[in-house]
Amino acid sequence: MKLNRWLFGTIIGTQFAFASFAADDADLQALKKQIQELDQKVRILEREREIDGEAAATAAKIAPKISLGANGFSFGSADSNFVAQIHGVAQFDSRSFFNDGGVNGNDGFLLRRARPIISGTVFRDFDFNFTPDFGNTTVQIVDAYVNYRYRPELQLQVGKFKSPVGLEHLVADKDTLFNERSIATDLVPNRDLGVQLKGDLFDGAASYAVGVFNGGTDYNGTTVNNSFQDNKGFAGRVFFQPWKNSGLNALRGLGFGVGASYLANHPATNSSTGLTPGYTTDGQQKFFTYATGVNAGGTGWRVSPQAYYYYGPFGLLAEYVVSDQQVASKTKSADLQNRAWEVSGSWLLTGEDASYTGVTPSHSFDPRTGGWGAWQLVARIGELDVDDKAFVGGAFADPKKNASSATTWSVGLNWYLNKNIRANLSYSQTAFSSYAGTRFTAGSVPCQPESVLFSRVQLSF
Amino acid sequence: MKTFLNTLLILTLVATARAKEVKLLNVSYDPTRELYSEYNAAFTKHWKAKTGDDVNISQSHGGSGKQAQSVINGLEADVVTLALAYDIDAIAAQAKLLPADWQKRLPNNSTPYTSTIVFLVRKGNPKGIKDWDDIVKKGTSVVVANPKTSGGARWAYLAAYAYALEKNNHDDDAARNYIKQLYKNVPVLDSGARGSTVTFAQRGIGDVLLAWENEAHLALKEFGEDKFDIVTPSISVLAEPPVAIVDKTARRHGTTEVAKAYLDYLYSDEGQDIAGKNFYRPRSEKAAAKYAGQFATLKLVTIEREFGGWTKAQKTHFGDGGIFDRIFQP
Repeated sequence: MKLNRWLFGTIIGTQFAFASFAADDADLQALKKQIQELDQKVRILEREREIDGEAAATAAKIAPKISLGANGFSFGSADSNFVAQIHGVAQFDSRSFFNDGGVNGNDGFLLRRARPIISGTVFRDFDFNFTPDFGNTTVQIVDAYVNYRYRPELQLQVGKFKSPVGLEHLVADKDTLFNERSIATDLVPNRDLGVQLKGDLFDGAASYAVGVFNGGTDYNGTTVNNSFQDNKGFAGRVFFQPWKNSGLNALRGLGFGVGASYLANHPATNSSTGLTPGYTTDGQQKFFTYATGVNAGGTGWRVSPQAYYYYGPFGLLAEYVVSDQQVASKTKSADLQNRAWEVSGSWLLTGEDASYTGVTPSHSFDPRTGGWGAWQLVARIGELDVDDKAFVGGAFADPKKNASSATTWSVGLNWYLNKNIRANLSYSQTAFSSYAGTRFTAGSVPCQPESVLFSRVQLSF
Repeated sequence: MKTFLNTLLILTLVATARAKEVKLLNVSYDPTRELYSEYNAAFTKHWKAKTGDDVNISQSHGGSGKQAQSVINGLEADVVTLALAYDIDAIAAQAKLLPADWQKRLPNNSTPYTSTIVFLVRKGNPKGIKDWDDIVKKGTSVVVANPKTSGGARWAYLAAYAYALEKNNHDDDAARNYIKQLYKNVPVLDSGARGSTVTFAQRGIGDVLLAWENEAHLALKEFGEDKFDIVTPSISVLAEPPVAIVDKTARRHGTTEVAKAYLDYLYSDEGQDIAGKNFYRPRSEKAAAKYAGQFATLKLVTIEREFGGWTKAQKTHFGDGGIFDRIFQP
C-alpha cells in the first residue's frame, strides 16, 4: 500500500514536473523569439536612422549654398557651378579746397561712387559682372562683361571692363590708397569695350592680358557704351611676380611689368574728339584741356612700366606712363608725347599685411572688445608733363589757361574699421608750371597751387 | 609687339603642355567598386604600354538611378557603367550628352558582362528559403534597395514580377499582389545595392537579401562562407549592365580616345577575365567557360521579352504613379 502510494506519488510528481519543464521551454522559446524580433526592430530603427543620416548628408551636398558675410551676399548651386553674388561699393566724400583764390564752388560733399555689383558664375566656367554706378554726376555702367575661364592660364573676357594698362588703375575702386587715383592715371585708358585674352601662368607668378578695344582716350571719368569706328585699339599687359610662390618672404610681394596700348588712326567723330576731355588734379579740376577744334589726328600709343612691392605692413607702388598721340587742328598737326609718373607708399600702423588687393584688419573696430581696426599711413608723389609742342603758338592748347606740368604730393591716414567700412582723411597739394614765358590767366585752374583736404566714408561688401 | 605676342603664345603653349594629364571619371553603380578597381589598374598598365601615357581613372559609385541623375545635373563623367540601359537613356534624353543610339556602338548592346539576381540567406538557411514563394511568407524579412534609386533593386523587382507572372499564367493582378506581399516584408529600403548589402550582412537585418549575383558572391568572400549561403531561385532576370562614353564630356575633356579604349578593353581577354573573377558573367566564350563553375544554371528572362523593354518597364513600374508607388507604402 505504501509502495503503491509512493509509486502513484512519484508518477504524478513526474508528470507535473515534465509538464512544468515543457511549459518553461515553450516560454523560453517564445521569449527568445520575442527578443529576436525586438532585436530586429532595434536594428531596423538604427539602420533607418543611419540611412536618414546618409540621405541628409547627400541632400546637404546637393542643397544650394547661401552665404551672407563680409564678402557680400552669395547663393549658388552645391557644386558651385552656378553662383550669384551681390556686392556693393558706396563712397561718401568731402573735398575742401584751401586758398582757392576765386575758383569757387569746389567744396562740398559728394557721393563719389554708389555701385551695386552683381557678379557670379554660370556653367562653372563663365563668370559675369554687371556694375552700374549711380554716384557722382553721371549714371553709367562701369563694368558689364562675361569671362570664360577655360583654364587659369587661358581666359577670354568680353564686354566693358578696365583696359589692362595702368597699374594703379587696375586697383579695385574700394582699395585705392587715396580718394582719387594719381595724376599718372590721367594718361592711361579707363574702362573700354572689347575682347581680352588673359591668364595667370605658373601659379600666378606671371600674368598676361591682351585685347582689342574700341580704343579709349587718356583717362576719361565718364565712359561710353559704344564707339562706332573702323579702327580699333590694342591694349595689353604682362606682369611678373617671380618669387610669389617661393620661400623668400622679402621678395614674395615684388611684382613688375609693363602695360601698353596702340591705336591706329583714331578718327575724330561728331561726338568725340578722340582726345582726353582733360587732365585732372587730385581735386578733380581740369588743369589741361585741348583747345576747341583739336582732334586726334593719327596714331596713339602708351607704354607704362610699373612695379609694386609689399612686405608686411609696408607697400610701395610705382608707375611711369608715356602717352604719345598725334593731334591735329584745322591748320596744324603734331605728335605729342605726354609723360607722367607716380610713387605711392603705405604703412599699416597696426601691423596688418599691405597688399595690392586691399587691407583686412586683424581686429575689427569694436571698443567693447578693444578692437580698433587697421590704421594706415599713406603718401604719394606724382607728376604729369604735357608735351611743350601742345602750347607752341597756342596751336593745341591755350598756355595761359592750361598747365604744362603738374606736380602733386599727398599724405593721408586710412582707417579700416572692418572689412566693410573704411574712413579716409588725406591732404593733397598740386603745383603747376606754365609753358615757358607764359603766365596763367587769373581765375584759371593752374593759376595757383591746389590744396585739398579729402575725407571719405566707404561701405564695401 | 610681335615679340611680345610670340612670347605670350609660347608661355600659353608651355602652360597648356605642362598641364596635360589624362584623367578619366567612370561613374558607375553601387556594387562595381571591386570590379573597376581591378580593371582600372589593368587598363592603366595596358594604356601605358600602348601609348606611353599615364591615365588616372577616378570612380564614382552609388545607386544607378541617382548616378545617372548626377551626370544629368553636371557630374562630369567621361564614361558611365551603370546598372541598366534606361539610366543611360535618361542621360542621352535629358542632358543630350551622348546619342540616343549609344547602345549600338559596342558589342552585345554595350553590355560587356551580365549578371542576375539571387538570394543571399543566413548560413544554414534557417527560414528554408528556396524560391520566390518563400520570401513572401509572413514573418520573412526581405532586404532589397529602393527600385526608384537603385538599378539592382529594379532588376530584383522585375525578377520577382517575372516569377509571379509565370506562376500565375501572366495574370497581372496576381503578379501585382505578389509584389505587394513581397514589399510588405521589406523593413528598410536603402538607396543602393551596396547599402542593402550593408543592411543585411553588417547590420544583421533580415532573413534574405535580394542581391546581384556578383554582390552575393562578394559577400561570401568578404564576410566568410560560414556566414551566408547563396540560394538560386528557379527563375530570375538576365541583368545587362551597359557601358557608354559620355561623348560631349569626353570631347570637352579631350578624353574621347582613352574613354573608347577603356570601354573596348572590357571586351578583351583580360577585361573579360577580370569580370569573371569578380563574379560577373563574362560575354566571351573563353572567359565564360573558365568561370562557368561559379554560376548556377537557372532560367533567365529578359526585360525586352517579359516587360517590353526598359522604357516601358520604367514607366509602368517605377515612374511616378507607377505600380511600385501604388503598392509600396513606407
